Amino acid sequence: MSEKEKKVEQKISWKGWVALIILVIAFSGVLQKNPGPLAALDFANLNGQFGTIYENINFKGAGGVGAREGFAFTLTLIPTVMLALGFINVAESLGALKAAEKLFRPLLKPLLGIPGIAGLAFVSTFTSSDVGAVMTKDLVEKGEITDDERTIFVSYQYAASAVITNTFTCGAPLLPMALLPVGIIIVLEMIVKILGANIVRFILNSKAKKNRLGGKEYGTAK
Amino acid sequence: MAQQNNQDTAVVKKNIVEEFMVGCRKGFYIGVEQIAPAMVLGFVIIQFLQITGLLDILGKLVGPVMAIFGLPGEAIVALIAAFFAKTAGAAAAATLFTNGVIDAAQATILLPATITMGTLVGHYVRIVVVSDTNKKWHPLLLAIPIIDAAIVMLLTRLVLVFMG
Repeated sequence: MSEKEKKVEQKISWKGWVALIILVIAFSGVLQKNPGPLAALDFANLNGQFGTIYENINFKGAGGVGAREGFAFTLTLIPTVMLALGFINVAESLGALKAAEKLFRPLLKPLLGIPGIAGLAFVSTFTSSDVGAVMTKDLVEKGEITDDERTIFVSYQYAASAVITNTFTCGAPLLPMALLPVGIIIVLEMIVKILGANIVRFILNSKAKKNRLGGKEYGTAK
Repeated sequence: MAQQNNQDTAVVKKNIVEEFMVGCRKGFYIGVEQIAPAMVLGFVIIQFLQITGLLDILGKLVGPVMAIFGLPGEAIVALIAAFFAKTAGAAAAATLFTNGVIDAAQATILLPATITMGTLVGHYVRIVVVSDTNKKWHPLLLAIPIIDAAIVMLLTRLVLVFMG
């Protein structure tokens, strides 16, 4: 067992699991229309509403265009981004990512064809583009994953990159009008990220097979 | 972020309230430093294209292709803007919505697409190059987010139809 593996094997506190579960519930929208106090766990409900200054129109007004409208629109988005990153930060500090790693670790081989050791890098890509990329390079240099596995893994990371953070920050302009809960949007993005990586996996595997049949040594090293 | 939490045992940890406020502050600065400039850019591009009439021409040109995804031709602007920066793409789509060019369902279809294929050049450096991926496969890697975006638009459209 490598040092890295030991590190990720450390036990996950119950807080990590609770934080992960609450985060998933909050962003999934399942409790949004709950009539009882559980509705308080929903992200959209906690995000609330702006007051209206005339009929259904909030302080941003209606009919704006151009740079001024872009700026006014930004003002309406900032609280959403603040609340989302506040939640994500708390969940991370409680160990939600470690809990997520435990869940995803056994799934990496069937989903992407990469070994479970890449689990920490995998969950890091939820919230950061750069950490995952650096860790991936590290994994290859330590010989934990092959060059082809890296290509597959990177094709997963590249699309949408830090999928959760980016959906909340970069996607912020579209969140107020989206008809689906943000959790569903993130799941859809994850699905196509995995699909896309499997296109790469298929291409690389068939190429490797062809090379083997041709009696050529297929380079897994750099 | 993740690795810092790995050595959490010995280090004095921030409490939950502090962590929450740190996250909020990060969100505020992302809003001011990243979202606001991209929103101004996105809204000005659309305004320019609309005043010059280029938006109509562009829309008619790519209309048949965009129809596959249940989108009007004008929606291509959001995808082109997303190519450079995810936020600009989402901002452009939001402008199209406020101008009545697309409806809420079409905005929902564009949301995961702008994220999936967005910031393609910037992230090429930050992810594909940094991770030192085999150069042989770089063209393939560049194509994947765009393919993903096309699939996610169809998928989102399907989910929306399914959920009424």
